Amino acid sequence: MSRTGEGPEPSRDGDRDHTHVAFSALLEDSAEELYESAPCGYLSTLMDGTIAKINTTLLNWLGLDREDVVGRRRFVDLLTVGGKLYHETHFAPLLRMQGELRGIALEMRTARGARLAVLVSSTVKFGSEGDPLLIRTSVFDASDRRAYEEELLRRRKEAEQARAEAEAAHRQAEADRQRLADALAVLQRSLLPETLPRLPGVETAVHYHTASPDRLGGDFYDLFPLGDGRWAFFLGDVCGKGPEAASLTSLTRHTLRTSAHHDPAPVAALTTLNTVLHERYSASGDPRYCTVVYGVLEPGGEGRPTTVQLASGGHPPALVLRAGGGVDLLPTPGGLLVGVLPNAPVATTRTTLAPGDTLLLYTDGLTEARTGPTRASLYGEDALYAFLAAQAPATAQELVTALTGLLKGFGEGLDDDAALLALGVPDTPAHPLPVSDPPR
Amino acid sequence: MSPLRLTHRDTAAGPVLLVAGELDFVHAAELRRRVERLVLHRGQCLVLDLSGLEFCDSTGITALLAARQRTLAADAELVLAAVPSHLERILTIVGLVRVFTLRATAEDE
Repeated sequence: MSRTGEGPEPSRDGDRDHTHVAFSALLEDSAEELYESAPCGYLSTLMDGTIAKINTTLLNWLGLDREDVVGRRRFVDLLTVGGKLYHETHFAPLLRMQGELRGIALEMRTARGARLAVLVSSTVKFGSEGDPLLIRTSVFDASDRRAYEEELLRRRKEAEQARAEAEAAHRQAEADRQRLADALAVLQRSLLPETLPRLPGVETAVHYHTASPDRLGGDFYDLFPLGDGRWAFFLGDVCGKGPEAASLTSLTRHTLRTSAHHDPAPVAALTTLNTVLHERYSASGDPRYCTVVYGVLEPGGEGRPTTVQLASGGHPPALVLRAGGGVDLLPTPGGLLVGVLPNAPVATTRTTLAPGDTLLLYTDGLTEARTGPTRASLYGEDALYAFLAAQAPATAQELVTALTGLLKGFGEGLDDDAALLALGVPDTPAHPLPVSDPPR
Repeated sequence: MSPLRLTHRDTAAGPVLLVAGELDFVHAAELRRRVERLVLHRGQCLVLDLSGLEFCDSTGITALLAARQRTLAADAELVLAAVPSHLERILTIVGLVRVFTLRATAEDE
């Protein structure tokens, strides 16, 4: 709808004004009534803060009587200590500077001592000369809003506390994990030597692959001096996996070391181990055993060759890569798994290592690796012998490096532990090897 | 990989347990428990028919040794029948061919 015609229509406008006045009079008796009973607090103060006028709403909120307030108190007297401080340091200076402030949160104190959270807006009224005359202030009850803010704050604190607790739990878990890793590392050191000793005139190399994620393996090896110029070494494989296998490995290794010092002869060492394992496990109905090759090496010199005596309890035969090429098997038929029977037979053999020869001991993780596209077939001894024949002659380190590469190539097919120990007599023991490549 | 399957039947000479599938770290305990529960009388012969055995690792061999101890304790006998070539090769390496009694088939000739 739109008005038609050129000018205003006085009669109609007059009606509307009349209706408007009547309508407003019906609801608000007067502007004074509106001021006194407004849903917010009003007060006016002199520039020094002395309260000149205050409405009923605010007096009711504060529980004060008008005569106790007007002309007697300043605005800051209505505030809490914190509110006073904020008023003096921020509110009043800003108001003097800007002439107006809106929505400042303050706390007022009621006659009963309770706190009243309020939002305060103030404007300065200036005289015709521009001089400040008084301050008009409106006060809104902000307790609902304050409660909401406090709730928000409480939630945030809770969230922060929850996060702090989660972080503490994470730190604890991390500390536990580290402690477990440290304990495992100590256990691992009881299973395998950290480094091999240096043998005069013999080069050594080892590799150990463990299939278990906690690195507690079922294969083991060791090499140590017998004190009379000879050296003892062994390499083997205990049945089972994980912590149970590791405890058997530990018992095996330390039994062999101890018995070697008592009687270094290979047969004696393995017989002692057999007795210990059988008594500890099999006799109590929980058969556990290991296969092991144990050897004593006597370094050569002054025309004497390096000699090796070996004993085996059910272990795959050791091999020698000869200096002139070719691979010799050192079979030990008849040697039985160690720990199965009270009087197990131990098989022995011996060989000599000429310069350039390298002796290899390995565990069957190498030959039992699953190969082929479906991982259905095993790598096997024949493939290993062919591989070694292609490597010969090789130093201990060259051989172990080549076999490590072979193991890596098995990938997922290598699902058991695998240990390698190589002992080689260098080709030219009298001449030190060059330390670095010649410059190009 | 196939799981372990154990099938039991009784003959005049004693129980026959058909052991098929994989006897590895995961499954060897099943065979051990099964053998523990077998009723064995003095003089009987427990036959483990290994014709369907596809894989056997060191824990599998442990289970076979446990079966041997179980039968010895009962004054019975253990026979490994139809041992696959891969297992016979391992048993030879570890010297156990001379500890176990091996037979070509599960049937008593």
